[in-house]
Amino acid sequence: MRILKALLWSCVALLGAGAFGFLALQRGEHVSAGWLLTAAICSYAIAYRFYSKIISAKIFALDPARQTPAERLADGRDFVPTNRWIVFGQHFAAIAGPGPLVGPTLAAQFGFLPGFIWIVVGVALGGAVQDCVILCASTRRDGKSLGQMAKEEIGPIAGFTALVATFGIMIILMAVLALIVVNALRSSPWGTVTLGLTIPIAIIMGLWMRYVRPGRVLETTAIGVILLAISLFAGRWVADSPTLAPIFTLTAIQLAIATVVYAFFASVVPVWLLLAPRGYLSAFVKIGVVVALAGGIFILLPPLQMPPTTRFIDGTGPLFAGKVFPFVFITIACGAISGFHALISSGTTPKLLANEADARFIGYGAMLSESLVATLALIAACILTPGTYFAINAPAGLIGTTVESASQVITQWGFVITPAEMTALAAKVHETSLLSRTGGAPSLAVGMANIFAKVLGGDGSMALWYHFAIMFEALFILTTLDAGTRVGRFMLQDLGKHIWKPFGRTNWYPAILLSSAIVVGSWGYFLYQGVTDPLGGVNLLWPIFGISNQLLAAIALCVGTTVIIRMGKVKYSFITIIPLTWLSIVALTGGSQKIFSADPKLGFLSHANSLASIVAGGALPAGAKNAFEASRMIFNDRLDAAVVAVFMIAVIVILADSARVWLGVINGSRPAVSTEVPFHARTASAQP
Amino acid sequence: MTKDRGPKTETTLARINAVVRRIIGAPDYSAYLRHMAEKHRECTVLTEWEFLDEQLTARYSTPGSRCC
Repeated sequence: MRILKALLWSCVALLGAGAFGFLALQRGEHVSAGWLLTAAICSYAIAYRFYSKIISAKIFALDPARQTPAERLADGRDFVPTNRWIVFGQHFAAIAGPGPLVGPTLAAQFGFLPGFIWIVVGVALGGAVQDCVILCASTRRDGKSLGQMAKEEIGPIAGFTALVATFGIMIILMAVLALIVVNALRSSPWGTVTLGLTIPIAIIMGLWMRYVRPGRVLETTAIGVILLAISLFAGRWVADSPTLAPIFTLTAIQLAIATVVYAFFASVVPVWLLLAPRGYLSAFVKIGVVVALAGGIFILLPPLQMPPTTRFIDGTGPLFAGKVFPFVFITIACGAISGFHALISSGTTPKLLANEADARFIGYGAMLSESLVATLALIAACILTPGTYFAINAPAGLIGTTVESASQVITQWGFVITPAEMTALAAKVHETSLLSRTGGAPSLAVGMANIFAKVLGGDGSMALWYHFAIMFEALFILTTLDAGTRVGRFMLQDLGKHIWKPFGRTNWYPAILLSSAIVVGSWGYFLYQGVTDPLGGVNLLWPIFGISNQLLAAIALCVGTTVIIRMGKVKYSFITIIPLTWLSIVALTGGSQKIFSADPKLGFLSHANSLASIVAGGALPAGAKNAFEASRMIFNDRLDAAVVAVFMIAVIVILADSARVWLGVINGSRPAVSTEVPFHARTASAQP
Repeated sequence: MTKDRGPKTETTLARINAVVRRIIGAPDYSAYLRHMAEKHRECTVLTEWEFLDEQLTARYSTPGSRCC
């Protein structure tokens, strides 16, 4: 039996290595997506079977006989022992947002290989390790949050840094996600109407669950899904109507204002009315689409049109500036390693585990699944021809605003796209233009529509599938926006009460309105900056988001390392120190390049200086209509530099603070005592 | 034999219902009632509205329930 198992795992390893070797060595031909999937799935299997065992067996020695917080503190509310598959599903639905779809799509500008290698290696050695270690640590501490653990394991400075980092990452995240929605919906009456209708749909669901059929979540969600389908057709009907279409053909600025106003109201009305029904709908659609996408790709195994690497690994890429190192690692956070997950692994999930041995399956396993989603998104982006991909994703500042200029520029880059092809594609998805829809969502939607239409409906259904994909992406981006604004408001109120006490009162309307306005104002400011940026904004905001997410991951890994070292398991601390070292290098290199690079395309300060010298010469920079706008652009560059600098300082502070604790434990000046809740044996009756 | 089918299908449906509800993150009132009946018979239980309000408000005020 042992021999048989060893043989089986050797086969998996050989198959995975073979697929990787093929991907690395093949030249010329279009590779089938099957090779990527084989390489990824074999790697995940090996990583799960062997690498995650170090965490579960050697470090935490997860013990099915040990009582979990869900059992010991059972309250029928937060602490509820739950079946492992259900916890897995809930954890997966919570961690898989738009991040793993957008990041890989943007990183495809380097070709499919750099992003793919990082997604697979990063998750095995980084992301899944982080999620699993934090989940184990939190489960052993009654489900404490990351911030609490940072404070108690490392110290108050680390705790405060974690709090500020979480708030900072949320502001940047919401700005960049809102920008993606705006870019996908601008001048698109179909998309705008469909997404706009999701708001009354959610409200109808909320009222239905409140007054008509209380507690009937599933039935209500099913109604919501049907209404969503209807709204898809309603969108087409409006887009075809010569009188209505112009009303819903909005500019980027109008959409940005609408998004900010929506998020403000959504975050102050009662949760049951809008946020909760919207969250159910979005989780439902999300899981459905991910499964459908996986099914479509597995059935078709489409050939990748994108080459393994493009010339843009030298840092001259049109989607965002910067070389493949460190920027592929910053662009793809979710899917490889995402600090945000540490908040979920130390939030709802540890309070649901019925058996602590499930932490490996849920912490490590769910993150591997998210990595697979990232791989699927990468595949969906890479089945477009590179010409199409760049035409959709490159900003108007580079390729111009006509299909002719776009075709000309992209041909100069060495990729082929004719004006006729671009016009035909836009017509096929029922849009006036697909040019420069930066942000990744539209090109992913075209890729997904290609896959879905091939499986179901044929070429004629492309437009419907495209708008379905846009609605799906925008739906759960808006869900993150409204929920995030509300969470941001609570965090701000919690911080602000130290300065002015009444500000912290969460049921006092003036405080609610003021704090919500500050939160939407903060991300709205960055959103406006992105919307008015002549280079499309995503190149500006996504790297800042990546750096902030890596910062949060660094904090989580510092907490993990401290927990491991204080358990007296220094020799296994490599498991968190490897990804921590890599992330610190990446975040600090990327951050300093974003601030100090002499190339104005990459460095914020040199860009500010180049704008300033244009203004000093008596001219106006591109995108500025007057001197005030020009000076605001210069201020924005400096502000962005300052934001990145704050994130970098936070990384250094948390590293230094943690290293102090680690060295103390190692040289004996600090006791190596674990702060775990002591062992309580499970009672037989508590078996789920 | 056929008589057993009805209730059996019903329980299966109820179970699917419970599973999907939990995965999409809906609070589980019946689990709360079960818990209160088992452990805290002396306490008055929250009504379904009160329970949902409490759970949803908590869920949407911490960053630990959703990701990017």
